[in-house]
Amino acid sequence: MNGRTPQAAAIGASLSGATLLVGVLYGLPVLRIAANRLVVGLPFAAADLPGWTIDAAAGLGAGGLLILGAVRGRAGAGLAVALLATALALLVQALGAGAAELIAGRPPAVRASLGSGAWLAVGVLGTSLALAIRASRLPWLGPAVLGASAVLGTLAWQAGSLAALSLAVEYEARREVVGAALGRHLLLSLGAVLLAGLVAALLAAPRRGRGVVDLAVSGIQVVPAIALFGGLVALISGLLNAAPTLRDWGFSALGPAPALLGTAAYLLLPLRRGLTAALDAPDPAVLDAATAMGLTPREILMRIRLPLGAPILIGALRVALVQSFGLATLGALVGAGGLGQVVFDGMAQFAPDLILLGAIPIVLLSFAADQALGVAEAGARRRWPA
Amino acid sequence: MTPRRTILGPALAGFALALGSHPEVARRLAVTLGAEPRRALPLDRLLELGLNHLALAGIGLALVALMGIGLGILATRDFAAPLRAGIDGAAAAAQAVPPVVMVALALPVLGFGGPPTVLALVAYSIMPMLRGTVGAIEAVSPEARQAAIAIGLSPRQVLLQVELPLAAGIILDTFRTALVLAVATTAVGGLAGASTLGTPIVAGLQNQNLVPMLQGAAATAALALLCDAALLAAASRLRRWNIPAGRGATCP
Repeated sequence: MNGRTPQAAAIGASLSGATLLVGVLYGLPVLRIAANRLVVGLPFAAADLPGWTIDAAAGLGAGGLLILGAVRGRAGAGLAVALLATALALLVQALGAGAAELIAGRPPAVRASLGSGAWLAVGVLGTSLALAIRASRLPWLGPAVLGASAVLGTLAWQAGSLAALSLAVEYEARREVVGAALGRHLLLSLGAVLLAGLVAALLAAPRRGRGVVDLAVSGIQVVPAIALFGGLVALISGLLNAAPTLRDWGFSALGPAPALLGTAAYLLLPLRRGLTAALDAPDPAVLDAATAMGLTPREILMRIRLPLGAPILIGALRVALVQSFGLATLGALVGAGGLGQVVFDGMAQFAPDLILLGAIPIVLLSFAADQALGVAEAGARRRWPA
Repeated sequence: MTPRRTILGPALAGFALALGSHPEVARRLAVTLGAEPRRALPLDRLLELGLNHLALAGIGLALVALMGIGLGILATRDFAAPLRAGIDGAAAAAQAVPPVVMVALALPVLGFGGPPTVLALVAYSIMPMLRGTVGAIEAVSPEARQAAIAIGLSPRQVLLQVELPLAAGIILDTFRTALVLAVATTAVGGLAGASTLGTPIVAGLQNQNLVPMLQGAAATAALALLCDAALLAAASRLRRWNIPAGRGATCP
C-alpha cells in the first residue's frame, strides 16, 4: 500500500511536467521579433514557425517525461534521457530556423529574441533531463550528455543554424569583449580561491586565537558583498594616500584589488571549515598506528591526513569555486572588469540580450565547476574510502 | 545552546557600523582615509533608504518563508517521496545563478525599481529555504513520529505537535541564512534602481565620492549584522523552550 502512493505521485508529477511543457510551448510566445535590440518585440507562437520541428520537440519531450514517470528502472530512465535530449536539440534547432525565417528579408537591425515560452520550455526540458540522468544511476551518462550537447552546439553554431537569434548577433558584435571578460573573470575568481586557500592554510596552523579567527571568518559572511567591496575601496584608497609609493607598483583603489580581496574574504569560511574537517578526518587510531610505525609528522600529513581528507577538501573547493564565480561578478562594480561588466553594461543600456550574454557564461561556469568537482569528490571518495 | 558572545559579537559590530554610517562620523572617517570631505548623505535620507531596504527585504523574506516552508512541508508528506530526490539538485542549480545576475535578469521582465529586487530575492532564497525545511523535518527521529502515530494523533496533529516543533530550530537557522541573503540581495537591488542602502554605494562609486559610499556600506553591513544578531537571540530563546519537550519526544 505504501508503494502505490509514490508511484501514483511520480506519474502525476510527470503528467503535470508534460502538460507544463506543452502549455508553455503553445500558450506563450516562443520568439519575439523587434525592430531593434532595445525594444520589446512582437510575440510569435509555436504555430507561426515553419515546419514541424517544434511539434516534434514538444511530442518527444512530453513522451520522455511520461516514460520517466511511468516506467521504473534503468531502461525507462535511459529511454527518457534519449527522448528528452533529442527534444531539447530539436527545440533549439527549430528556434534557430524559425528566427532565420521570420527575419529573412527584413532590415539588419531587426532582432529575433527568444520568448518566455522558449526559455520555460528549455528550463522544463533541462530539469527533466537532469532528473532522468539521476534516475538512470549511470555515473557516465551525465558527462556524456553534457559532452554530446557541447559538440552538437558547436556544430550548430559553426553551421550558422543559430546565427539569426539575437543572442548570437549580440555575441558576434562583442566577441572580443566577451572573450576578454571571460578571461578576466576566470583570473579573478581563481586568484581569489588561491589567495583564500593560502590564508586558510596559514590560519590553520596556529592553535591560539582560534575562536577569534572563527568569529571573524563567519562574521564576514553576514556582511553583504556590495558593502564589503565598497568598504575595501575606501580602505585601499586610504592606504594608497598614506603610502603613495604603492601606486607606482600598480595598485589602485578601483580595480582588481578590492574585488580579489573581497571575494577571497568570503571564501575563507568554506575553505577553513573544509581544511579543519579534512585534517581531522582520519581515525585517531590510524594516527596512533602511524606514529607507532615511526612516521614523522610530515609524513603523517602527506601520506595519511591529506589523502584521507581529500574528498572533504575537494568538496570545500567546490563550494568556494562556485561562490567565487558568483562574487567576482560584483567585482565589475569596483572596476575589476570580468563578466559582471557585460551584465552591468546590459543593465545600463536596458538591453536584455547583452545581460544574458554576460549572465549565461557565469551560470555555465558555476554549473561546470560544481559538476566537475562533484565528480572529482566522488572519485576521491572511492579511491580513499574513509 | 548559543554562547552569549556569538550574539554579542555581531550586535556590537552592528552598532559600531551603524554609528559609522552617521553623516558626521562618515565624513571624518573619509577625511582620515585621505579623501576630500565632500557632501554626505543627510541622516533623514539614510533612514528613509534604510526603512525602504527593510521593507523590500521583509516582503521578499515573507514570500520566501511562506513558500519555502509551505512547499517543504508538502515535500515531506508521503505522497511526494519521488519528488524529494530532485530538491537537492534543483537547490544546487538555483545557487549557480548569483544574486546580481538574478537582479539583472529580472530587470528586463519587471523594469527598474523594487519588483526585480524582490523577484531576485525570492528566486535565489526559496530553494535553500525549501531544502532546509525538508532537511529539518526529515531529521525528526522516526521514533518520535511513530510514537505520535501510536498514541493516535492524526497526520495533521503529528505535523503540528511533533514534527514542526522539533524541526523549528533548524528551520530558524535556515531562515537566518535567508535573512542575511535577503539584506544582501536588496542592497544589490540598488543597481536595478531600487532605493535601498545599496544606492549610496553605487552612486558613490560612480561619482568617486567616498563619503556616501562609506555610509551606505556601513549601514548595509550594520543592518545585516543587527538582523542576524536579533535572530540568533530569538533562536537561542526558542531552543531553551524547546529542549525539554524535544528530549521527551525523541527518547520515549
